[in-house]
Amino acid sequence: MKKNKSLLWLFALILVLSAFLAACGGDDSGSSSDDADKKEETETETETETEGTAEGEPQAGGTLVYGIDAPPEGLFSSAFYGIATDAEVIDLYDEPLITYNENLEPIPNVASWETEDNKVFTFTFEEGVKWHNGEELTVNDWVFALETIANKDYDGPRYTNVQTIEGAEAFRNGEADTISGIEVVSDYEIKITFDQARVNNLTNLWVYALPESVMGDVPVAEMSGSEWVRSTPIGIGPFKIENIVAGESVELTKNEDYWNGDVNLDKIVVRVIDNSSVVGALQNGDVDMLSLQPVSGPEVEPLENVEIITYPGLSYYYVGFKLGKFDNDSQSIVEENPKYQDKQLRQAMMYALNRQEWVDAFFFGYANVVNAPVPSSHWNAADNSELNTYEYDPEKAKTLLDEAGYVDQNGDGFREDPNGDEFIVKFSHYATGNPTFESRAQAITQYFEEVGLQSELEMVEVNLYYDMIEKDDPAIETFFGGWGTGADPDPSGLWKADQLWNYPRYNNPEADKLLDDALDIEVVGTDQAKRAELYIEWQKIVNEDLPMLYIAELEEIVALNNRVGGVEYDVSGQNNPAEWFVTE
Amino acid sequence: MLKYTIKRLLGTIPMLILISIVVFSLAKLMPGDSLSGEIDPLNTNPEYIEEMREKLGYNEPLPVQYFNWITGFVQGDFGKSTKYKTDVFDIIMEKVPNTLLLGVISLIITYILAFAMGMYSGRRPYTIGDNAIAGINYIMLAIPSFVAAVVAIYFFSFHLNWFPFGGSVDILIEKGSFEYYISKLHHVLLPALVLGAMGTASYTQFLRNDIIDNSRKDFVRTARAKGTPIRKIYNVHILRNSIIPLVTFLGFDFAALIGGAIITETIFTYPGIGMLFLDSVTSRDYPTLMALTMLLSFLTLAGNLIADLLYGVVDPRIRLD
Repeated sequence: MKKNKSLLWLFALILVLSAFLAACGGDDSGSSSDDADKKEETETETETETEGTAEGEPQAGGTLVYGIDAPPEGLFSSAFYGIATDAEVIDLYDEPLITYNENLEPIPNVASWETEDNKVFTFTFEEGVKWHNGEELTVNDWVFALETIANKDYDGPRYTNVQTIEGAEAFRNGEADTISGIEVVSDYEIKITFDQARVNNLTNLWVYALPESVMGDVPVAEMSGSEWVRSTPIGIGPFKIENIVAGESVELTKNEDYWNGDVNLDKIVVRVIDNSSVVGALQNGDVDMLSLQPVSGPEVEPLENVEIITYPGLSYYYVGFKLGKFDNDSQSIVEENPKYQDKQLRQAMMYALNRQEWVDAFFFGYANVVNAPVPSSHWNAADNSELNTYEYDPEKAKTLLDEAGYVDQNGDGFREDPNGDEFIVKFSHYATGNPTFESRAQAITQYFEEVGLQSELEMVEVNLYYDMIEKDDPAIETFFGGWGTGADPDPSGLWKADQLWNYPRYNNPEADKLLDDALDIEVVGTDQAKRAELYIEWQKIVNEDLPMLYIAELEEIVALNNRVGGVEYDVSGQNNPAEWFVTE
Repeated sequence: MLKYTIKRLLGTIPMLILISIVVFSLAKLMPGDSLSGEIDPLNTNPEYIEEMREKLGYNEPLPVQYFNWITGFVQGDFGKSTKYKTDVFDIIMEKVPNTLLLGVISLIITYILAFAMGMYSGRRPYTIGDNAIAGINYIMLAIPSFVAAVVAIYFFSFHLNWFPFGGSVDILIEKGSFEYYISKLHHVLLPALVLGAMGTASYTQFLRNDIIDNSRKDFVRTARAKGTPIRKIYNVHILRNSIIPLVTFLGFDFAALIGGAIITETIFTYPGIGMLFLDSVTSRDYPTLMALTMLLSFLTLAGNLIADLLYGVVDPRIRLD
């Protein structure tokens, strides 16, 4: 009896505890049910160009709090930064010489350019543009940046944006004291010669200057650790860095001498906000502006003082097949994996995926289904009418599998391969701390199982994951991945047969030829439409071949407090921060 | 005692060498390296990654890499962080003040709470109050720190607006002014409260048990017989004896002070050693990771030594030689 009593106590205690836990969790469910009621009120804008929310005329003065979701590494220099949060800070105080418009075409900013043959470019700088220390920006600062990046001691990743300049390789190897393709005409005029004429020479070129007046004496090997990168960086942008508290916040003040119009805000405070605090901080007005993860979207939407703005992103997710093995020494695909060579099998797997349902479930509507590996907002994207859209059709998938010989021969409910051997789709997904990854990967294997393909999921630790994919580890057969596209849409580095990062080991000379042609000035000249045509042709091929199953492209999501105005986004990113303002 | 100290100090040297080998092998056994996170066609190309691997010496045989690292390390050169691209020593020194502040404040909170609760429980054992304190303590111990942190932020920061929800200082306040230090204190209080209040269980229960033990001893009976007030017996005679075992904890706390609190620091975006450590593991920043592990190992060993020495100081009956 005594024992029973203590058991009873234990039971009671467990009840109390679980009630406590349920109360803790209650928070989330409460807000998501609100969400359903208010959804109609909150209208999410989805035009290609969207504007900030505050009404009326721009106002001068005020402080804007800009949130970032991860601590910056503190490499505040265009030439040295490595992660996106550092880049967000850099965008506030520095500017490129050339920017992009909403069609991702280069437009002059500080520098304008002329070229006749896409090999030699003459750049002309605006006069009177000043660094934050008062020195004037000249072409020498750009030369300094290019030579820094081409220096053999440079420890950042940007050399790829300089190496196409004539003589960069010789400079890097120490055979020359200067880069021969760079010719300074005057303080405001410079001529740059590339090693050959290419259509994308300009978009590939490094177009940020570095302040030679302060960094000129620092040896290149020590630059990334120097004060001009870590604690007192300067730029030419609308705001100056006033103060940095490492790992948590940055204070920027208005640049009175800004070259390109008036700056509205007095201050911008950038602060790190952990994902767990995002909703509360937005609601309380502790942060005015911040990029959101899709998962926070549904919680932020009901907030009355915050508006969500979306704009098209440039990254896409896919499920890749390992079709071969790559040999890094000969830079070629040396072996074919037989398992997924059958195109009908791959197409059947594409029809089996209900991508729309998957995107809605795991990206909360902040992503769109894609049918080719080019984000739809890019100028070279093929229209869906030109592609097979692989609408969800499990019956068609089954028919295709039957036709290809994948039928259930031993009556276990799953299909065998045409030889009658057991066929299991091994699907791998990377694992981080994020608990939704496993469920979204599981969902994909379930789609495969629904059409009779037995599937197995393996979650692999993220660092190991890309290592295994890159080395063509036999344990990886089909894999989940994501890629991004830059301003120039050339996907050669991820698709051609001689590229290490062509992870599916897709080998189609016809497709490679199209990619080469699209870059060949002899073929396309300077005609963007002609180039787009070739890319569309290429997309049709990879849409048919399906070396990977294209899943979705992400949208960028920004939460803006209602008091913020003058903020605009398009596919190339945010507008000039000088135009932002706040109303009190 | 001097002989004992020297003996112990010499003993830590082989221990540290062993730890360094283990730490190094474990770090290298982790899949991927600091460059696997940089695979991004927008930023770079495979040649750069290959070149950096060569430059950082990742292609050398492991014993060579170990030797290179350890020779620098014993000369005080901790290497250059692969993530922050600057000296590891500078980065660690940048974070230490924050972590120390957080550690000291949370320890003070723990001490105050644990002393109050432990003394109450020890004086009135097996009453409802004692059981309630034990229950609360164990529940606090069992609640994961991230749950506690998120709930605390939600309640105290967003709901009541008493504390800031993150960061270590308000950047807009002039550095070095009086408000600046107040702001630092204001920012550190909530994470310290979460850390401090959650860790009281061991102290409280130790103190309680010791007070109960001591209250049955002869000297207490004598004191009572002589008519010393109960209050004085507990607060002076018993307490003084009961603090001794707690001194052992102090040694462990020593390393924990610097080690920081990984989860709590991250959720409060409080830039300290704990956050740095987690970061260096996920980004495979070997130099930072290994320097921190060595530092913490050393502090743990040193903490143990200090605890043992203090033991001898507070209780002369314990002979160390």
